[in-house]
Amino acid sequence: MNIKIAVIQFPGANCDLDAIHVLNNVINVKTDLVWHNHFKEEKYDGVILPGGFAFGDYLRAGIIAAHSPAIEEARIMLKDGRPVVGICNGFQVLTEAQFLPGALLQNDSLKFACKWVNLKVENNNTACTNKMNLGDVLAIPIAHGEGRYYTDKLKELEENNQIVFKYSTEEGELTEEANPNGSLENIAGVCNLEQNCVGLMPHPERASEEIISPKGTIHGQIFFKSMIEFIKRRLA
Amino acid sequence: MTKVDINGEKADVEMTIDEYEKVRKLLAREPNITELGMFDVMWSEHCSYKSSRPKLRIFEDAEANYDYVLAGPGQDAGVIDIGDGYALAFRIESHNHPSAIEPYHGAATGIGGIIRDILCMGVRPIALLDPLRFGTLKNNPHSQWLFKYVVKGIGDYGNCTGIPTIGGEVEFDESFESNCLVNVACIGLGTIEDFKHAPSRAYNPGDYVILMGGSTGRDGIHGVTFASRTLTEMSEEDRPAVQIGDPFTKKLIIEATLEAIKTGFVRGLKDLGGGGLTCATSELTGDGDTGGNIDLRKVFTREPGMNSYEIMLSESQERMAFIVKPEGLETVLDVFRKYEMSFAVIGRTDDSKVLKVFDGNNIVVNIPAKALSESPTFKREEKRPSYLDQLLSQKTPEPTIGLDEIIYRLIASENICSKEWIYRQYDHEVGVRSVVKCGEGDSGVLRIIGTNKFIAASTGVNSKHCFLDPFNGVKGGLVEECGNIIANGTKPMAMVNCCNFGNPEIPESFWYFSKSVDGMNEFCRTMRIPIVGGNVSFYNEDEVKKTAIKATPMIMVVGLIEGQDNIITLPFKEPGNYIFLIGETKAELGGSEYHSVIYGLEGGIPPKVEEVKIKEIWDFLFELYSNGMIKANHDVNKGGFIITIAEMCFKNKLGAELDLKNCFDDHLRDDEFLFSESYGRFIIETKPNDYDKVLKLAEKHNVNIKKIGVLNSTPKIIIKGLRTKDIYLDIQKLRENFESTIPNLMEI
Repeated sequence: MNIKIAVIQFPGANCDLDAIHVLNNVINVKTDLVWHNHFKEEKYDGVILPGGFAFGDYLRAGIIAAHSPAIEEARIMLKDGRPVVGICNGFQVLTEAQFLPGALLQNDSLKFACKWVNLKVENNNTACTNKMNLGDVLAIPIAHGEGRYYTDKLKELEENNQIVFKYSTEEGELTEEANPNGSLENIAGVCNLEQNCVGLMPHPERASEEIISPKGTIHGQIFFKSMIEFIKRRLA
Repeated sequence: MTKVDINGEKADVEMTIDEYEKVRKLLAREPNITELGMFDVMWSEHCSYKSSRPKLRIFEDAEANYDYVLAGPGQDAGVIDIGDGYALAFRIESHNHPSAIEPYHGAATGIGGIIRDILCMGVRPIALLDPLRFGTLKNNPHSQWLFKYVVKGIGDYGNCTGIPTIGGEVEFDESFESNCLVNVACIGLGTIEDFKHAPSRAYNPGDYVILMGGSTGRDGIHGVTFASRTLTEMSEEDRPAVQIGDPFTKKLIIEATLEAIKTGFVRGLKDLGGGGLTCATSELTGDGDTGGNIDLRKVFTREPGMNSYEIMLSESQERMAFIVKPEGLETVLDVFRKYEMSFAVIGRTDDSKVLKVFDGNNIVVNIPAKALSESPTFKREEKRPSYLDQLLSQKTPEPTIGLDEIIYRLIASENICSKEWIYRQYDHEVGVRSVVKCGEGDSGVLRIIGTNKFIAASTGVNSKHCFLDPFNGVKGGLVEECGNIIANGTKPMAMVNCCNFGNPEIPESFWYFSKSVDGMNEFCRTMRIPIVGGNVSFYNEDEVKKTAIKATPMIMVVGLIEGQDNIITLPFKEPGNYIFLIGETKAELGGSEYHSVIYGLEGGIPPKVEEVKIKEIWDFLFELYSNGMIKANHDVNKGGFIITIAEMCFKNKLGAELDLKNCFDDHLRDDEFLFSESYGRFIIETKPNDYDKVLKLAEKHNVNIKKIGVLNSTPKIIIKGLRTKDIYLDIQKLRENFESTIPNLMEI
């Protein structure tokens, strides 16, 4: 099966090459770096919007990128069930484009925060979590200034099982101390109703190789391997 | 400031009457106002190094004497060959003056500038490091304001450009209260081919000159001349001389520049930093031994009505100049179009050796291309400050509080405590190269993806030591920074420096500079470490208080290591393992944290450096490494070796029982042994069954080593064998003291 993934390069993206490295060299799936104006959905089985500061995050994080032609291409993928994944700034873009519910506000510390956190898996049916178990705790780092998740439709999200990851302790407890940015209900990642679109603030591409992982864990790999598995099942 | 009037056009220039005469002689006529402005900028201290250049000639020629040095001092950055076809570029420079009056944008544009310097070498910037100096934070809202916004400025700019900030250093001391120091360092990685394709000169006549990036505005005019004098209360009015950065545009410039170089059609490259278009065009043509025609009407400006003087002197950020082969013009422009970057073909090179600038059809500048780089130099007077004798004779008082209490206070002091508050605000992981991350080791270690190689970098110097003895102080800085990367297992490859001093026209200030250069020179020649670049920032002097900053010859050392298994980290690993102290401890408490924190003293005898001893210790460590005998390593720095041990206990929640009986010289008092900051010492962890072998190798290398204790899993550090009573330290309390200081001061 010749699976092909695209990583969109918005002007100001800066985790694009990191995602490309992990997908091509660690996960071993053919992945192209595509300039946002050149992106054509028909060539790809899945798309990743990487971290960074698309269009400088001017006006509001992710909002200008949400109007890029690449988003219209991604919308086609969204509708026919291919995986559309947003990491960090990519998550912000997906909420601004209203592919995903909610919004990402400034961290409650009012400061950028770069650190390793723990994520508890709340939904293992999505395009990026199907190889995980419910309640698994993943060690994955964050690096953002605007990652405080907020939604006024919390109940709806809970009922529809759209909460994918929550910040937790290493033991999986959902404490206030484990919440690095003041996110509502410790929410770190969500999905759409169809579960093919997933966004999260932490960076799985930074947690996919033992050598750069403080405790030697490679939980980020499961995220991307789930994405490949999702594509395989879809194509089967 | 000299007022000049040329044909009715008035301007203020910094240049002296003698310099003005030299300009007239070079041109064989009166300069016009634009030309005079260009000379004024290029001959400023900041651009021309006119006070420091004569002294800096004592450094050895790195390119000639080290086969792996590809570019040495005088270029935009130093470059070394690290094997496997890769080149590593690095540089450190100051952005002190702008940051002292506008900390956020001053620091941010400092990052912007150093990124451009690395980009100019044709390689991708992959890491930033920032050594900083401020006044003490406690009860000092001004220092807190500077500190908060400098850190935010660095973070916002670096984070947005996607370059991880992997390290830094900070000291807080009253002498920096009105002259904070913001030094910025950047490391770049590329292939040797990439580096060769991007010389900073226009050596071929007939090539196109392209300006790419941000538009040219009236900001930053005379930024460099502003940086070449002391700050006064009037300096607040200079705030418009501070530029505003745009990290988003910088990110696009990085990508567009690297992609343009890959086309093979770029023949030369230069960033527009201090001195703006004047500096870029004159250095490209001057260094390339060509000439050129530039049309200012082509330059895209931010506001209408800018005259030739303003356009030539603007220091607007985010601009690059490219020299492009004629046949590749459209290909290169297509790259710029893809990134939606503004650009303009502003002229062409020729073989006239003259730089001609036109405003439409009118020629506004007509000067020999090399003239601007031929600034006069000054032989500055130097004099040892008379206050030093009294300072050096200060004695260490007898402690009146317990040694345990002293340790708790030291670990909480601003200069020793955890700097997590800072590095959490920096994205130190983007790029997926960071193997030893902030807070995990003595230096930042990055992998070179696609190879089995790793690089390490560390920056800093001890300003208090340099204040008392700049010659040994700078050597100590080199021992410390090399020690930091050696502690991680890597071998020092090269160093760059950033000399921060007071007014060079004051003999006492210049003495500090001169002695620091002597120390650097002697150490680097002896230890065979090439000096591949430097930057000098003078005039860090408070004119109102008539005080200079403590001398700060900042050092950055870069090292290399092969094989992941050879990387050593700081935390203690296993209960039962032995703790050794390597190196000799002397009664060297001058400028120590112990003196300043406990007694409020600045003086005493500061540590001296003996290169022979240092070399023996380094050789010994590398032999231990190659035998796999070191489980953890941390070099001993401020506050002495108990602080070092405490820091090593934290991460894996281990404790230590130390027995110091027979471990130290009979002449030393307990406090002298515990809190001395003698250079070149390390604390290592080894397996008990390697004990004999470690001692044998120490003897072979003539190294002073003592087994001082054993690791255990109780949360205590117990110190026995002192002359006074045993010390029991609670690790949890040490850790709280270590971690809470800066948050308590900054999070109000």
